Amino acid sequence: MSFYSAQNLHFSYDNTPILQGINITIEEGSIVSLLGANGTGKSTLMKLFLGLLSPKSGEVILKGKPLQSYSMKERALQVSYVPQSTQVAFAFCALDIVVMGRIAFESWFQKPNQKDRDLARAAMERLGIVHLEKRTFQTLSGGEKQLVLIARSLAQGAKILVMDEPVSGLDYGNQLRLLETIMTLSNEGYTFLKSTHFPEHALMLGGYTYALKEGQVLAHGMTHQTITEELINELYHTTIRLKQTTCGYPVCIPSFVHTKY
Amino acid sequence: MKNSFLFGVIIIALAASSLISLALGRYEIDLSTLTQLLLWKALNIGTAPHDVTLLSNIVFDIRLPRILAVVLVGAALSVSGGAFQAMFVNPLVSPGILGVLAGASFGAALGIMISKNWLGVQLLAFSFGFVAVLVALGVAKIYGRNGSQTILLVLGGVISSSLFSALLSVVKFVADPYNKLPTIVYWLMGSFSSVDMKMVASVALPLLVSTVVLSLMGKYLNVLSLGDEDAKALGVRVAWVRNSAILLATLLSTLTVVVAGMIGWVGLIIPHIARFLVGADNRVLLPMCALLGATFLIIVDTLCRTSMSIEIPIGIATSLIGIPIFVFALRNAKKGFA
Repeated sequence: MSFYSAQNLHFSYDNTPILQGINITIEEGSIVSLLGANGTGKSTLMKLFLGLLSPKSGEVILKGKPLQSYSMKERALQVSYVPQSTQVAFAFCALDIVVMGRIAFESWFQKPNQKDRDLARAAMERLGIVHLEKRTFQTLSGGEKQLVLIARSLAQGAKILVMDEPVSGLDYGNQLRLLETIMTLSNEGYTFLKSTHFPEHALMLGGYTYALKEGQVLAHGMTHQTITEELINELYHTTIRLKQTTCGYPVCIPSFVHTKY
Repeated sequence: MKNSFLFGVIIIALAASSLISLALGRYEIDLSTLTQLLLWKALNIGTAPHDVTLLSNIVFDIRLPRILAVVLVGAALSVSGGAFQAMFVNPLVSPGILGVLAGASFGAALGIMISKNWLGVQLLAFSFGFVAVLVALGVAKIYGRNGSQTILLVLGGVISSSLFSALLSVVKFVADPYNKLPTIVYWLMGSFSSVDMKMVASVALPLLVSTVVLSLMGKYLNVLSLGDEDAKALGVRVAWVRNSAILLATLLSTLTVVVAGMIGWVGLIIPHIARFLVGADNRVLLPMCALLGATFLIIVDTLCRTSMSIEIPIGIATSLIGIPIFVFALRNAKKGFA
């Protein structure tokens, strides 16, 4: 029985095929990175995994049952979404945003109770951002916003996190800290499906990688075996070199640098 | 703690302004006589004041229905404005966003032109308010299969508003310029002068229920204001919540047009002021909007009927007062309308 998988997914927007027969298997507690150039359908694929879109054919299976057979609530208890950026037009404080993760547990008209607020605060504490709870969300930095949104997912109680370009817009330090957070949570049993523009970030996190090109899976498998010089150059039309370092983690060196030496 | 204090203050302000409004008018009643009358009538305490028939007539038959209507309409406009702002994730949205006010105005103008009695006018205003929203939703639905629902709804609202404004112009153009046209124009400026107890009684229940239910939906509106995808991923049935909120907010704003014609700006500025006071959480914000809107409209309506020898149409007054307040509220625009 598969934990979380996509079987022969097809999807199109108005007869423009986006995904053509995608198969993905995600094991519990693993990190799966989606690689691919802009417009290859990474975001669409994640929306299908979240049940925000319905596939043309094929299906997403979650814990042995088709995702379509879950109600919105049931799904929200299993899978949560960490968006790239949330535009909040109104001045909610960070804790308010995290408490919203509990909405699937509350019945109509029920107020978030002390337990919801405690769980929200515990999630913030876990990510070391409890000092931000009173701050207005918009006034937070990009990195802090991402952490608040991850805290919301933790408060939601779902053990699978789907992240769309989690590091985009973050400075270098915040990128590394966010990746470290993902790594830590993954060690605690959380499952991650995330898209990334940086093959190096996939390499840092290990786990599994699926490379998408023109709506199909070009290559997949253990990240360190899947991401090769050839694959990156084909995906992104580059001429990089992948160099092994002494700590076993390869780095990408672009042609305008490596041709000099 | 801070919020309960604020609510206390606003409730006292609402009670005080209602009481003062009962006393003020062409025939002024001093506050002690008014209190004596109220105690005697309502609780059977003390003695009846002099001229009790005249006073009862003024206070209970003329001023009280009007004040109740003002309170209900002020609350309804502000709550529907606040709810629309939350669900369209846009603090610049007013209750007219989906064309409801344009539709109701057209309906009322049509009613004034073809109907002999006010009931017909009210029914037409009410029906066309809903028709206009259906037009907006229909336009959004045509292209709504993918892409953002919100932007399509706003565009649908723009189209629907323009359509019914154009139809309103047609009615004005063909209406009898001596009898009907002045009535239409005066009615479009908004007024509470024709309110009676029967009308208040017939709209009070739907207005109160919608206001309360929308306020109770606050937490879902909170999540909607994060955007559709976020809300869905959190397990909220977005379409269902939005449609219920649209239905209730439309009911509220259409009924205000039925009672008092077009009263602009209240639904836009009161949510801003309320947000400034209690923050963005709709569970607290919407009740605050209701109280603040009622208090604001009581004060404006009292000024309208007492400051000059003729009554100023309240729609004109709310616009003239609302615009500077809104300019002031824009100060907070960069901070996310805190």
